[in-house]
Amino acid sequence: MKLLTHNMLTSHVKGVTKGYPLLIKATEVKVNEVEFNPKFVCRMIPKLEWSTLVQAADQLGHREELPGELVPDYEKNGDFLKKVHRVLLEVEVIEGCLQCPESGREFPISKGIPNMLLNEDEA
Amino acid sequence: MMEEAASQLERDHVHNVYDKIAPYFNDSRYKAWPKVRQFLLDLLPGSIVADIGCGNGKYLHINKEVFKLGCDVCRPLVDFAWSQGHEVQMCDGLCLPYRDGCFDAVLSIAVIHHFSTKERRIRAIKEMARTLRVGGRIMIYVWAMEQKRRKFEKQDIFVPWNPNPHLASSCNREDAKPRRRVTAQSVSEVIDNTENHRKVRSTSSVADEEDMTQMVPQQGTQRLWFFSRSLDSVFDFGSLAISWPSSRDLRQLSSATGESEGNKANQRVRGRGLIKQVSSFFSPPSVIGSEEDVFDSDVDLQKGQNDSGGPSNPTNNKGKENQGVSVSLVQECGSLALPDLISLQQEHLKQSEDQSPREPIGTEQQEGRESPEGSEEQVEASCLRYYHVFREGELAELIEHHVEELHVIHSYFDHANWCVVAEKVQVWKI
Repeated sequence: MKLLTHNMLTSHVKGVTKGYPLLIKATEVKVNEVEFNPKFVCRMIPKLEWSTLVQAADQLGHREELPGELVPDYEKNGDFLKKVHRVLLEVEVIEGCLQCPESGREFPISKGIPNMLLNEDEA
Repeated sequence: MMEEAASQLERDHVHNVYDKIAPYFNDSRYKAWPKVRQFLLDLLPGSIVADIGCGNGKYLHINKEVFKLGCDVCRPLVDFAWSQGHEVQMCDGLCLPYRDGCFDAVLSIAVIHHFSTKERRIRAIKEMARTLRVGGRIMIYVWAMEQKRRKFEKQDIFVPWNPNPHLASSCNREDAKPRRRVTAQSVSEVIDNTENHRKVRSTSSVADEEDMTQMVPQQGTQRLWFFSRSLDSVFDFGSLAISWPSSRDLRQLSSATGESEGNKANQRVRGRGLIKQVSSFFSPPSVIGSEEDVFDSDVDLQKGQNDSGGPSNPTNNKGKENQGVSVSLVQECGSLALPDLISLQQEHLKQSEDQSPREPIGTEQQEGRESPEGSEEQVEASCLRYYHVFREGELAELIEHHVEELHVIHSYFDHANWCVVAEKVQVWKI
């Protein structure tokens, strides 16, 4: 699971109103090399919940100077974009779980795949 | 209660089946539909798109400029998609784990026809709409009830799965037992009582089929559908009506064939009985609800060649007729534009045009004979997939009347699917 994906994921347990963002508890993290496309990263940024990304990167120990807030004129800032690229697309959680911030319910991540299926009583 | 029944039906006849048949999904037949591919290619670079019910992820590699993620309930399929390098999750279409308005586009290709009630289908669409941003677009494909030359008689059906789709389906072996005509039995009961279903050929949904020109030519297809009444109209699970061929037909079939390999006539005969079975589920538009009357008056009847060893039945003559009619039905059914066998339809249309007898696949037929019993039979017996096939306009209507946050932009028919492209709109509530 990449952090770009994590940025979209939320807990949908019945009754939960604040299921986002999910806390990441990772037991295995991988960093891959992914082709850097600055335009792509640029376009992604406005779609992200920025604080969620920073928090997630932090939880994985991969924050590495990522600013807590978006820098102005980031479109032209190659360094910044490279950092975002790394955190969004290169860092991957292979094993671990995602925890609902409100209910505490844990969704397992195994072989890189989060299992967000709910039990009957949670749906 | 309805909800439980619906979800149980889907568990047994969608989720469990896909779990079993997942290994066969990576057959080279299954490629992306061109219009779906185009939808993806037309997206603005930097878009985020979700394929809800992504299966093995065949759409997830298209367009490197956009970020794609996929989800499905079927673990083996999701695992495969992952192995291809895609971002995928396990989840339920009725309860998507994505925040509101986070996607620029959503795909739902051959998915919502697996939901067993209208209410659930609406919920699934609403869930996807929720995750779409305003201005974002969704493309939905569902199996169509109306096919080129026939209609499915009912909208709620079970479609069996054949793990070896390239093997010609021989409908019986020499040990086929005669069956009594049964009606109003539960599906599982009927399955246990017969061997015929085991040799039925079926593939996955239409969205998986590639352009027909690349398909291996197949023999006249023998297909079987079990019609169920929609859960919406009848809550009683026991009232599933299935029609079976008479014992006469089956005995003719079993005795008429020898074991000679590659005997084309034999293979044709084998097809007949099962096709007769299929025929009882179809009716020309003018005849509704009739089980036997499925023949067009202009059908070119071929007389059956093998009529030996028929039952000592006073209506032997009629039997011969039936056989002849059944043969023509092979052609009819073979040319049906079924959602999952569109390529075969094209093949057979070509063949019928040539006015030549159907060419069965010699070698594949041989393979078919060698195929194992037992486990394969078991797999097929329990591999009935539930579908609610859509009438013309049904999908668009569903959205227009029940999903106010979506506005239908395009509505069309594509290779035996009804398709809709809709845009998420801002809904103002006072």
